[in-house]
Amino acid sequence: MNLGGNNMKKILSVFLVPVFALLFSLNAKSESLTLGWAAWDPANALQELSKEFTAETGVEMNFEFVPWPNFAERMLNELNNQGKTFDLLIGDSQWIGQGAEYGHYVKLNDFFDANGISMDDFNPATVYAYSTWPKGTPNYYALPAMGDALAWAYRKDWFDRPELQAEFKGKHGYDLGVPKTWDELYDMCTFFQGREIDGQVRYGAAINTERGSEGITMGVTAAMYAWGMEYENPDKPYDMDGYFNSDASVEAVEFYRKMYEDCAPPGHSDAYMVANLDAYKSGQVAFQMNWYAFWPGVSKEDSDGRVSGFFANPCQNVCAATLGGQGISVVKYSDKQDLALEYMKWFAKPDIQQKWWDLGGYSCHMDVLGSPDFVDSAVYAQGFLDSMGIVKDFWQEPTFVELMLPMQERIHDYVVNGKGSAKEALDKIIDDWTEVFEDDGKI
Amino acid sequence: MKSAVKKFKGLSDKAIAWIFIAPTLILLLAINIYPLIYAIRMSFTNFYANKIGREVKFVGLKNYKKILGKEEIWEKMQITAHFVCWTLVIQALIGLGLALLLNKKFKGNELLTTLIVLPMMLSPAVVGVFWTYLYNPQVGLFNYVVNFFYDFGIFDMIGSSTLAPWSIVIVDTWMWTPFTMLICLAGLRSIPNYLYEAAEVDRASKWQQFIHITLPSVLPFLLLALLFRGIENFKMFDLVAELTSGGPGSATELASINLKREAFEKWKTGYSSAFAVILFVTIFGFGNVYVKVMNKIKDR
Repeated sequence: MNLGGNNMKKILSVFLVPVFALLFSLNAKSESLTLGWAAWDPANALQELSKEFTAETGVEMNFEFVPWPNFAERMLNELNNQGKTFDLLIGDSQWIGQGAEYGHYVKLNDFFDANGISMDDFNPATVYAYSTWPKGTPNYYALPAMGDALAWAYRKDWFDRPELQAEFKGKHGYDLGVPKTWDELYDMCTFFQGREIDGQVRYGAAINTERGSEGITMGVTAAMYAWGMEYENPDKPYDMDGYFNSDASVEAVEFYRKMYEDCAPPGHSDAYMVANLDAYKSGQVAFQMNWYAFWPGVSKEDSDGRVSGFFANPCQNVCAATLGGQGISVVKYSDKQDLALEYMKWFAKPDIQQKWWDLGGYSCHMDVLGSPDFVDSAVYAQGFLDSMGIVKDFWQEPTFVELMLPMQERIHDYVVNGKGSAKEALDKIIDDWTEVFEDDGKI
Repeated sequence: MKSAVKKFKGLSDKAIAWIFIAPTLILLLAINIYPLIYAIRMSFTNFYANKIGREVKFVGLKNYKKILGKEEIWEKMQITAHFVCWTLVIQALIGLGLALLLNKKFKGNELLTTLIVLPMMLSPAVVGVFWTYLYNPQVGLFNYVVNFFYDFGIFDMIGSSTLAPWSIVIVDTWMWTPFTMLICLAGLRSIPNYLYEAAEVDRASKWQQFIHITLPSVLPFLLLALLFRGIENFKMFDLVAELTSGGPGSATELASINLKREAFEKWKTGYSSAFAVILFVTIFGFGNVYVKVMNKIKDR
């Protein structure tokens, strides 16, 4: 068989054209982005939402969701090692300082300007907390992605029982209902502690006591903020003595310990999000402390709204709530920054933000939050709006992990372990923090 | 091929020995010795692995002074010592007891040995997780079993500062006593029968046989097992991290857990390198003294 030059070309073209076509199509399909976040309900909602992005652009979205206890360690190790695993990262609000200062996150100002994305379109508290560094300056390193705050859920079906209402009123002189202050919360928690309801022993409240990551700090600060705690002298940064360990702060920490001792179910000594949720769902407790992010899931299982009610963090001396939530950032070490920015542009669109809320994500876009239907769109929507107006956050310094860990240890040692006094715990935290700030050249 | 053999034949025994040893030696140098030297060097600096671009300064003995002068570090060392000492004592007693039991011939001996050895084969992280469930005061089996014998009511093993240090001792004992038992069993099976026969002829009681034959023969084995367990428990991390995370508060925060927090959560690389060197020297020192004592016992 003689294969002349022309025949050879024909044969090659017959074989090579489809091969190249296939390679090109594979290449087009292989355009993908990897997004990192914590493993929880909103992450599943985002995965669902992102299918629309893939349908519009052909860009495949990969997700890596890390369980909360390991989330910070996994992600911060990745950033510190300048890893390329993630193109987009939904990082905790406290990471913004190190994301910006150590150059892990791409600065977004030029991108926002070029694409008409205005931070005025987002809730100011979330822009301040999730996007800016130095705090409050118009330097943006993230787009507010998931608004969140620490709040409470309660067993409405138990509260609605006339015999319990009568007994509570007889004992405390006011109605059993949504607590307005921490004192009322304590009365109600202790009322349910050890009480038998429907043949089972119930307990007061599932509160944050986790030791390893950030749990107990997020919980105790919910009380401390309500008592009016400030981290530092507003006129003299990093001057903490007399502010963080003020009498009000001490009282709040003592109160939190009282809550743990008198209201928590047995064995609730190292509990955070999932453990609180489990204690509540299994009918052990009357109250659970948790993030708004979990309320769509709780609410979904209670379609007629008979079992669960939700409320913002109660006031005490002032009204305040612990901030949660995250912004979405583009990782500086990603080779696909342009594509990642495309995703962010798509995510910032008001209609996508509306769908995000509908799917169970907490949008921070004012078009969604300001919509007349918003408050009635979910039973916890009003509480969410109220909370986002009073949120306070932990230090967002680049050294936040070094600041968080001593607080975890000292507070756990006092609240759960019963070691020393609240004042001693807070004093020691100030000593630890002073050392960190000195090391970092801030003092 | 022939020439290669010739060349190989031309090498001295010493050279051939070096050729065989070299790969292992290179690996050892690369994986153990180099990181050790690097860590020692870093321990004299203020290096933070997460602060990219920050000037690394030589700080002399500052890190060492800081660690050795810190009250909390000594607390962690005490917690570690409590854990190591009690696990060794309990594992030695139970391990030797089980070995003596299993050294007897009875029906089901092999099955029982296999069952006893099972915990040792599990991953420490898995053991840590499922013991948290066993210790759960409301639904855990541990409370139920204890209350079956005596009514203590609800108690929280890993949430109480007095019980938590014992909770980790119990789990480690459950997991690693089989190891001590196996080594003791090997020792017991190496004792020649004629020693007991001679003792019987001399009308020695069972207790005398145990004191004068069994114990001296098995002691070097037991001490070796305890050396391994001591070194491992001094470095214990995974099991305790999963079980208690060092809590409540810092009641079970062993030195290695604290070291991990300083090194990989706070990223104080220079400081934690110094701490690692201190721990290494401590283990190395204790280990050497122990081996010398062990050799003396063996020589007797």
